[in-house]
Amino acid sequence: MSAPRTVLFPLAFAASAALLAGCTAAPEPALEPVSGGTLVYATGDAEPGCLDPHVGGNYPQALISTQYIESLVSKNSDGEIIPWLATEWTESDDGLTWDFTLRDDVNFTDGTPFDAEAVKVNVEHLKDPATASSTGYLAVGKIDGIDAVEPDHVRFTLSAPDSALLESFSQPWVGIQSPTALEREQAVNCESPVGTGPFVISDWVKQQSITLERNENYNSAPDDAQHTGPALLDSLEWRFIPDAATRYAALQSGDVDVIDNAQPNNISSATSDSGIEELNAPRPGASNRIELNSGKAPFDDIRVREAFIRAADVTPGIESLFFGTAERSFSVLSSVEPAGVSSPDAFTTDADAAKTLLDDAGWDTIDSDGYRTKDGERLSLVFPVSTNQSIPAEQSLFEQIQASAKDVGFEVTLQPTDLSSWYGALFTNEYNLVSAPYTKVGADVLRILYHSDSIIPAPSGYYANLAQLSDPALDQILTEASQTSNEAERQSLYAEAQSIIVDGFYVLPLYDQQNHYLYSTSVEGFRALPTVSAPTFYDAWLNK
Amino acid sequence: MTEILAGRLSHSSGVAPGIRGWQRVLSNFGVFVALAVLLVILTTALAPQLITTANPNAVSPAEAFQTPSPSHLFGTDESGRDVYTRVVFGAGNSLLIGIAATVVGLSLALVLGLLGGLGNRLGDFVSTRIVEVMFALPGLLLALVFIAIAGPGVVTSTVAVGLSTAPGYARIIRSQLRSVRNAGYVEAATVLGHSRLRITLQHILPGALAPIFVLGTLGVGQAIVWASSLGFLGLGVAPPAAEWGAMLSSGRTYIDVAWWLTVFPGLAIVATAASFTVLGRALNARTRQEVGG
Repeated sequence: MSAPRTVLFPLAFAASAALLAGCTAAPEPALEPVSGGTLVYATGDAEPGCLDPHVGGNYPQALISTQYIESLVSKNSDGEIIPWLATEWTESDDGLTWDFTLRDDVNFTDGTPFDAEAVKVNVEHLKDPATASSTGYLAVGKIDGIDAVEPDHVRFTLSAPDSALLESFSQPWVGIQSPTALEREQAVNCESPVGTGPFVISDWVKQQSITLERNENYNSAPDDAQHTGPALLDSLEWRFIPDAATRYAALQSGDVDVIDNAQPNNISSATSDSGIEELNAPRPGASNRIELNSGKAPFDDIRVREAFIRAADVTPGIESLFFGTAERSFSVLSSVEPAGVSSPDAFTTDADAAKTLLDDAGWDTIDSDGYRTKDGERLSLVFPVSTNQSIPAEQSLFEQIQASAKDVGFEVTLQPTDLSSWYGALFTNEYNLVSAPYTKVGADVLRILYHSDSIIPAPSGYYANLAQLSDPALDQILTEASQTSNEAERQSLYAEAQSIIVDGFYVLPLYDQQNHYLYSTSVEGFRALPTVSAPTFYDAWLNK
Repeated sequence: MTEILAGRLSHSSGVAPGIRGWQRVLSNFGVFVALAVLLVILTTALAPQLITTANPNAVSPAEAFQTPSPSHLFGTDESGRDVYTRVVFGAGNSLLIGIAATVVGLSLALVLGLLGGLGNRLGDFVSTRIVEVMFALPGLLLALVFIAIAGPGVVTSTVAVGLSTAPGYARIIRSQLRSVRNAGYVEAATVLGHSRLRITLQHILPGALAPIFVLGTLGVGQAIVWASSLGFLGLGVAPPAAEWGAMLSSGRTYIDVAWWLTVFPGLAIVATAASFTVLGRALNARTRQEVGG
């Protein structure tokens, strides 16, 4: 593994020497952006089955679609909503009507003009059951009517006020695509969706890579971008390298320029590598947490849920497995969400308390394997783990939780599976524990994840309320929070909601959704878009 | 490996390679070592408690990634579990899968082989076509297809490996039976008017099936490697059970910080597979000499 470095060093040395010779006055190489070249990005996320982020709507789709599809609004690094394809917006006093003014000088990459009609077609596409959208579908859930008043003016009528509407619109899963392209069959649109973004999909070799070419007519950069006009890179190569060690080795050897889903041990060793830099951009929305399925036995009993949370010893594992790159979370929400409440006292580990709780709940006999039983039935928990979404360190953490749960008498069966079998287990309710990352902009993610309405599957079959939490009081609070435009009231309602979720022992928070990018020092101008922390290569250029 | 053997065994029935007895075989140092290694590994597999008293699944995050030392001979893994204990307990799983898979493969092959070697034309046609179809897919791919249908787990990965080794064995058994069926002593028995059943049971099967034992011994080594490959791909035992291939796979993530996580289970796989192969070869040499003499 040191071989690539020994190659890189002389090269870097020669390069800087050449630069120094060129301009003796400046000791630092001048950082004037250079146009051209191909940047190679290697992702460890699953390869999307469909490149249209409306269909389904998961993070792998967000990662790549950010390169070619844009949203009505964006978010700056201070967390404020900023204009993008929409230039301004107004909300009516009753909160039921929203008017958006759109840019009138933008075209999709197939030549179709971007206008109010296009926005209308997109929202209808999201709502159409045939699209099988889940994330985007939920995000536009309150939109009842869409009216293309003028080419640059679209009006949304809502069924109830939606304080999260702008946050919803900032997400890549609600990105705006060419209505002409959407008319094609879904299978075709999945291969080559058309947006207004800085890059255009040109080729997709399955299981290998996607090639994106620069959009030469690009003119719709968000306000917080570094430049205007087309992107600097000629093209992007988007490779799928699921294996973390291989991905990191490819970065070290200079084969790829940027990788995502970097492993904790690699992040820690990269800090001593002068050729590699790290970008830590935690995803917004929920924290990474384990949901306890309260919809079926044995977790329909709050004592059993509390016993599991008291039994699971999480913090020491996070410290050793993550090499100091992840911090234990005690909140249902990501640390980047201002509404998040951290409650460390609710998640203390106490094996004795766990045992007492299980005794009280009737799981008071112990079988020959050391597991608790009740009426001859063993206290078994099925835990399907998506190996596409859980990095090895997380899988090891689950094994540690399995071990500490065993100490009090829980039998946890870990089932490592691929993404589709994992969805299968969730759809058929064959799970007691599950870790399902959920990214959404804003605390309204609580409504998506824990409102009883979310037990009803979206058209894709996915339902987000995997804890199957059904509490009318909580529903009421979450609905109120999503309707009030009073920010202080909204925050206090979300705090109240979190305390109900935490006190009901429905969730075991682990850490923020880890989102560490490692990139070569030759890559300049690379950043994560503040909306959902997906990478954007619009401003990026290669300093080679 | 089986393809090479097929050629060798079918020729062996005719020519005697020279008189070599058990002594000659045992005097071979390699066989001694192989036997010794297998003895240790078998003991480990059958009674791991004799070798270590520790619990292979005992987690201790505070002791993660410790280098090999007197207290942890092979170091500790990412969850602070003792790698030595896990290698010891992994022997049972890996060996069980290897041996069971070979038994499954041989049994299936025996049915196909007997049908082809002793059955009528139709039987031979059917079994040969089945074997050809199975041969069309590379062994490990066949195993993966089976797992994709039946779902991962110890039982399915055992059957999968067995299934993928079966066509090779079936071909050998068929050709072996065919050559014995035409041998002089079988012809003599037919002339003497013995019944078909008696000829088959008394003359054909013993002569033809003796090499199967040898094949099986050689096959176990290969099956262990394959089972480890499946474990490496995450298709074998469920966590946290110790299995060499799975250990190799999870240790690979940390190969730059903890070499001992991959080296020790890797060595165990190599030692076991190599020992079975050495032993199988020695047995093969002896069988050839016996059949010939």
